[in-house]
Amino acid sequence: MSMITDPALAPDGERKIDWASTWMPVMNRVRDRLKEEGVMRGRRVAVILPVEPKTAYLAATLADAGAEVAVSFPGVMVHDDVAAGLAARGVEVFARRGSTHEEELGFFEEVLARRPEVVIDDRADVIRLAHTTHPEVLETLLGASEETTTGVLTLRAMEADGTLKVPCIAANDARCKYLFDNRYGSGQSTVQAVLDNTNLLLAGRRLVVAGYGWVGKGVARRARGMAARVIVSEVDPFAALEAYHDGYDVMPIEEACEVADVVMTATGVRRALPLSAIERLKDGALLANTGAVDDEFDVAELRERALETRIVRPNVEEFKLEEGRSIFVIGAGVVVNLSAGEGHPVEIMDLTFSVQALSARHLLLNAAEMSPGVHALPDEIDEAIARDKLDTLGLRIDRLTDEQQAFLKAWEAFA
Amino acid sequence: MTAAEVAANSRIADPSLAPEGEQKIQWVARHSPVLNRLARERLADGALRGRRVAVVVHLEAKTAYLATLLAEAGADVVAAGSNPGSTQDSVAAALVARGIRVFARRGVSREDFMEDLLAVADTAPEIIIDDGAEVTSRIVEHRPELREQLRGVTEETTTGLGRLRAMEAAGRLTFPAIAANDAACKHLFDNRYGTAQATMQAILRLTNLSGAGKRYCVVGYGHVGKGLASYAEGLGGIVSVIEIDPVAGVEAFMDGHRIANREDALADADYVITATGGIEAVSRDDFALMKDGAVLANAGHHDREIDVGALEELAGPGEEVRPGVSRFVLDEKRIYVLVRGALVNIAGLDGNPVEIMDLSFAVQALSAHHLASNELEPGLHRFPPQLDREIAQTKLASLGVELDELRPSQRAFLEQWTMWE
Repeated sequence: MSMITDPALAPDGERKIDWASTWMPVMNRVRDRLKEEGVMRGRRVAVILPVEPKTAYLAATLADAGAEVAVSFPGVMVHDDVAAGLAARGVEVFARRGSTHEEELGFFEEVLARRPEVVIDDRADVIRLAHTTHPEVLETLLGASEETTTGVLTLRAMEADGTLKVPCIAANDARCKYLFDNRYGSGQSTVQAVLDNTNLLLAGRRLVVAGYGWVGKGVARRARGMAARVIVSEVDPFAALEAYHDGYDVMPIEEACEVADVVMTATGVRRALPLSAIERLKDGALLANTGAVDDEFDVAELRERALETRIVRPNVEEFKLEEGRSIFVIGAGVVVNLSAGEGHPVEIMDLTFSVQALSARHLLLNAAEMSPGVHALPDEIDEAIARDKLDTLGLRIDRLTDEQQAFLKAWEAFA
Repeated sequence: MTAAEVAANSRIADPSLAPEGEQKIQWVARHSPVLNRLARERLADGALRGRRVAVVVHLEAKTAYLATLLAEAGADVVAAGSNPGSTQDSVAAALVARGIRVFARRGVSREDFMEDLLAVADTAPEIIIDDGAEVTSRIVEHRPELREQLRGVTEETTTGLGRLRAMEAAGRLTFPAIAANDAACKHLFDNRYGTAQATMQAILRLTNLSGAGKRYCVVGYGHVGKGLASYAEGLGGIVSVIEIDPVAGVEAFMDGHRIANREDALADADYVITATGGIEAVSRDDFALMKDGAVLANAGHHDREIDVGALEELAGPGEEVRPGVSRFVLDEKRIYVLVRGALVNIAGLDGNPVEIMDLSFAVQALSAHHLASNELEPGLHRFPPQLDREIAQTKLASLGVELDELRPSQRAFLEQWTMWE
């Protein structure tokens, strides 16, 4: 039995899921294949991802192929209509917008009680629970597939200290995921969320991107495309040099904050933007988090520091730092494209969720032979997804000739 | 007028929406430094006191703030929307709560819209801030006697100026009109950056689709079209431009876009965006040229740039598959039209960015003030260039930006007519 806000919202949610499916041609091929093969039939799969239309389509696809699917996620990234639409399609959903931390823990426990064989996880939340408070789940868990950079780091840490008991696929590290989802998906949708929620102009504004990983690169590029002047803050010398050569200003975060009109965090690190940097922001500065970690800047700490806070527009909260100087946080410090928007563009998630669906399939077929630890998605699966995407776009590419291949493999000087 | 009289002399959808609209107006106030400094200071000289001013521009928060400033300066303000598809009922309610009469309701029929505009006309405005000459043309056509007390009109858009010029040619422009649209601080920024950013945002917001790698067909390469093309590139898109003007065509080419005929440009477009300011920029015969899944949006002036009526005749009424997204199926191809061809940035989102409208409405506020303070000859007038400069200077000052100045030797060089030795 699903635990959702309002089943009556199902028609709206179903329409959104239908819309997503229209623009996910690769997923549609995956769906047909899974149905035909029957690999999913009767298998128990947990999907721990933001409850929005694209994720819903992934869950629905797995269910359509015969899996028993349970879905859950913390409430700030739950669209209640989509949850209802998904429940109406026969997927068990444990998620409500605005849920408390205790409720969310309860939801995760409901999912774990279904004894999933495969978990598609986000930030390794449920995998951690299974390894700490709910070890009994590990008896029947074949493996997991992880969506985020942050979650993969966690899994590697667990692997390093010998805690990780099941094989986990770093779905995030598949090229069809991070090259597109993190860069183009986050780039477009987070910049968009900041603008949609504020109705402000980006042209000429100084926008600071904290972190120049894939997400930071995407944010910087899209912001520049909307005529912002971009500044990058980094801790990694190579990333900083990349930013420099891409034509952005590079400076320490504390200095960058002094001139910033907009600050977007993309570090995947807790408190990457410390209160001391926030203190330097000028009146009217906008602050949004584009990373997977909720606390890239500490909203609770900021709330305590502020003289006064109030909601000034939907999803926009004012923090008065002193008389005449306020800053504005968009999306409550939680990844802004999901907390204050509809998430990534659909076509991008077509790639990401094809990775996830095939990753789950790979675990169901091969987990028994895989050692506990972090595994890459096999290259041939990744490449097949890319080729399918090109095919659905009507794009053709070249092949190496035999001679070219021979050249690449030869070690002796070329005559 | 008392609050009750204001409410009784208004026609809005729902007064209870006022708090939401008020919140939006306050956000605008915070981000409008030019209106707050320059306009407020100039308007305070009493020139507008007691003047009947009609503000007929897309009725959302920025327009509401302009109306508020005029009212604060003592004008007797009445407001209406220039298009029923763009009126925000919450903002209309907030304006009434602020003591300004409003005749505007979202989504009303053409007849009801006409009725609202005539209600504005019947307040016998002395000054009109107009958009698309919507109320001015109705006064000339249906209330010619009211032209007598009209001190002047200040017009917001390229399209409206076209109508006023046609009116002048026909000998019907018997009052002064200022081409606010042609002010540098308006068209250089509003049309190019404002409309472009907001249009792209609206398209992506309404569809949740990706901008990267897509083919965009921009119909019309005026200031709006230029902005759209540049922002589409910024999103990772590839741009084709359709033009009728050879100079604009060369500009598009030099800007690195594909300039193509209608058949080629429409055939591979993922997004088709109209920005012509005319009608039937995408017409009956064009729909069949498009590929399956094409998304159509209008960033121009009229709801009629995309001929949705013709599409309905060809493909039936269409189905709303997401809020603001109508799907039509033509020869088994799906064609999606956003907000049924209304202005996508305004009907599909909150309109142009606040800071842009700060500039545009500073032009309008000073233009209205200019009309109140001076007796102008009938006919079309430029917005005074000195005021234009002052607006730009105020904007720069609000940004803390300093400009360079010509040195005397440089100035002497520029001012002499003899050959330089």
